[in-house]
Amino acid sequence: MAKVIVKDLHKSYGDNEVLKGLNLEVEDNEVVCMIGPSGSGKSTFLRCLNDLEVPTKGQIVISGYDLSDKGTNINLVRENIGMVFQHFNLFPHLTVMQNITLAPVQLKKESKETADATAHELLKTVGLADKADAMPNSLSGGQQQRVAIARALAMKPKIMLFDEPTSALDPEMVGDVLDVMKKLAAGGMTMIVVTHEMGFAKEVADRVVFMADGLIQESGKPDDVFDHPKSPRLQDFLNKVINV
Amino acid sequence: MKKWQVAVVMVLATLGSWFAFASTAQAKTYTIATDTTFAPFEFQAKGGKYKGIDIDILNAIAKKENIKYKLKAISFGAAVQQLSANQVDGVIAGMNVTPERKQTFDFSDAYYTSGVVMAVAKGSSVKSFKDLKGKTVALKTGTAGATYAKSIESKYGFKIKYFNDSNNMYNDVKVGNSAACFEDYPVMSYGIKNGIALKIVSKQYEAGDYGFAVKKGKNAELLKKFNAGLKAIKADGQYKKIVDKYLHSSESSLTGETASSRTFVGLFTQNLSTIGSGLWMTLELTVISIILATIMGMILGVLGVMPGKLGPAISSTIIYIFRGMPLMVLAFFIYIGFPDLIGHGFKIPAFIAGMITLMLNEGAYTGAFVKGGFQAVDDGQMEAARSLGLPYWTAMRKVIMPQGIRIMIPSFINQFIITLKDTSILSVIGIVELTQTGTLIIARNFEGFKIWLMIAIIYLVIITLLTWLSNWVQRRMN
Repeated sequence: MAKVIVKDLHKSYGDNEVLKGLNLEVEDNEVVCMIGPSGSGKSTFLRCLNDLEVPTKGQIVISGYDLSDKGTNINLVRENIGMVFQHFNLFPHLTVMQNITLAPVQLKKESKETADATAHELLKTVGLADKADAMPNSLSGGQQQRVAIARALAMKPKIMLFDEPTSALDPEMVGDVLDVMKKLAAGGMTMIVVTHEMGFAKEVADRVVFMADGLIQESGKPDDVFDHPKSPRLQDFLNKVINV
Repeated sequence: MKKWQVAVVMVLATLGSWFAFASTAQAKTYTIATDTTFAPFEFQAKGGKYKGIDIDILNAIAKKENIKYKLKAISFGAAVQQLSANQVDGVIAGMNVTPERKQTFDFSDAYYTSGVVMAVAKGSSVKSFKDLKGKTVALKTGTAGATYAKSIESKYGFKIKYFNDSNNMYNDVKVGNSAACFEDYPVMSYGIKNGIALKIVSKQYEAGDYGFAVKKGKNAELLKKFNAGLKAIKADGQYKKIVDKYLHSSESSLTGETASSRTFVGLFTQNLSTIGSGLWMTLELTVISIILATIMGMILGVLGVMPGKLGPAISSTIIYIFRGMPLMVLAFFIYIGFPDLIGHGFKIPAFIAGMITLMLNEGAYTGAFVKGGFQAVDDGQMEAARSLGLPYWTAMRKVIMPQGIRIMIPSFINQFIITLKDTSILSVIGIVELTQTGTLIIARNFEGFKIWLMIAIIYLVIITLLTWLSNWVQRRMN
């Protein structure tokens, strides 16, 4: 069974329809990169997947949970979905360690001691073992984003959603964050990544999805999408992005 | 239940028992209201006890007739309002018997007959009513002097300015803002004898009777006893003794103050206990109100940022109502209007009424900035917390509130200082806090400048201490 099933997803803000009927299935261990021009609805789509945006119409089933079903406990669903934001959204009043352990301890997933140990492991994985007691504001953007990834992983999610994770970073910080994400992908994590990093998409994605005007225009293996684009919209987009 | 829930329940239960206690305990004895600053009929002597012709007559009559009573000294206007609202059983406050008042009150036999005189500043050239043309006349609301002056206002073409308090009225004339004031003869003559720099320039007009009042149709028994007692003390010579004592003696022998100690320090040490109890009342009111207002403000603030429409709607409505109402109007409404509305002899003690007033008003202001503080926390914080699977209230408590409260700290400090100062407004419902203490002391010794300076310094000292404390807390939190 597929991890994520999206059927006929619509989302409107007043008269403005942002998503116009999306269909997508993501399998276990699959890495899907979503590309497309700004305003095409990529981020909105991603935020619908953990109910930060409530769809106007359509169905989303994640790991067997139907989000449109009123009986679904959304908090339980979210525990299984990690999300990484463009602007990190670390909790500025808590240390790096506290940021990571807050949710597991509050939700009684782990004791304080176990959570601390897990957090140290995760910080090692993202290369920030020495920053456990630092406050978020003392870290660089790239470091903050890696803490944010560790924070999401602390809940041991089955799926990770990345919403333009490197867009707010200085260029020299991007590599570190992408490396962490590559490690995750190599470890078999199911990932949906909204990104403008075409190199990353080409190298890591199992599938690339191109979105424009609130619809999926084209999708396929990275080689097909990047080297043999079929639709004129995608050709036009790739021309603009690659020939910057 | 969580700790904070237990605390809220306990506060409510305490308030509830206060109400219950207040309404049963006061039923056994009569509550008689009097004015605070109407020497020689009533004034506060050194040490905070009330003295005066009214007080002594009431006391003598009560002894003769075996009446148990509790004296409640508030402003004249509040006393009259409370009598008509059934908050007190009787009023003795140098109150003139007038046809209008007879419609709402039943009066005893006259216990004193007095006329109205006009007084002007010592150096004033005003000699008769004719000289008042185009000038301003100071009056005290609800007095016979005010009624008389109003009746000749158009004839002599002067303007009228009202005061709630005799001393402010005298002072306005003394400094020259008003050309003259109209006052009952014994009151004016007593004041002048005790150092008010005014002089009486007219004969007595409109001789009027002073009577003890009860609400129309109520407390007939009390009125009957008062009349009988009055007859008795007139017969045995006690009455004459009391009146002579106040109208034919100098102030110092009555208030216990020596004329030599009129220096700043002397006044301060002499009135230390009175000022101290006023200060204590102010601090008590401030601390309790700050706690209650903070609880209320936090609730309003959280309601204001809750998802959905109901919470924010309730929050903004409450903030709108109580922030929009002047504190004084709110105090009068809760103390006098609200019990009137409920009826059945329901009473709210002044302290409780004052506390509720401050809680609602300061709580509304607090609610507004608490809401603002929560809203100032970036939306991404809530999204990040929720995306980790934290329920709304956990996210609120662990992520939004700690950040919001940090933003609010300067507003909290500001609000604490405002609350402290706002307690002074509660003197209108008869709470004897620091400001009212000042009014009372001045009513006795007429040392306006020194006493107000003293009161102002005390406020500044407390506010300075409060600011230091707050800054210390703020440093600790950061």
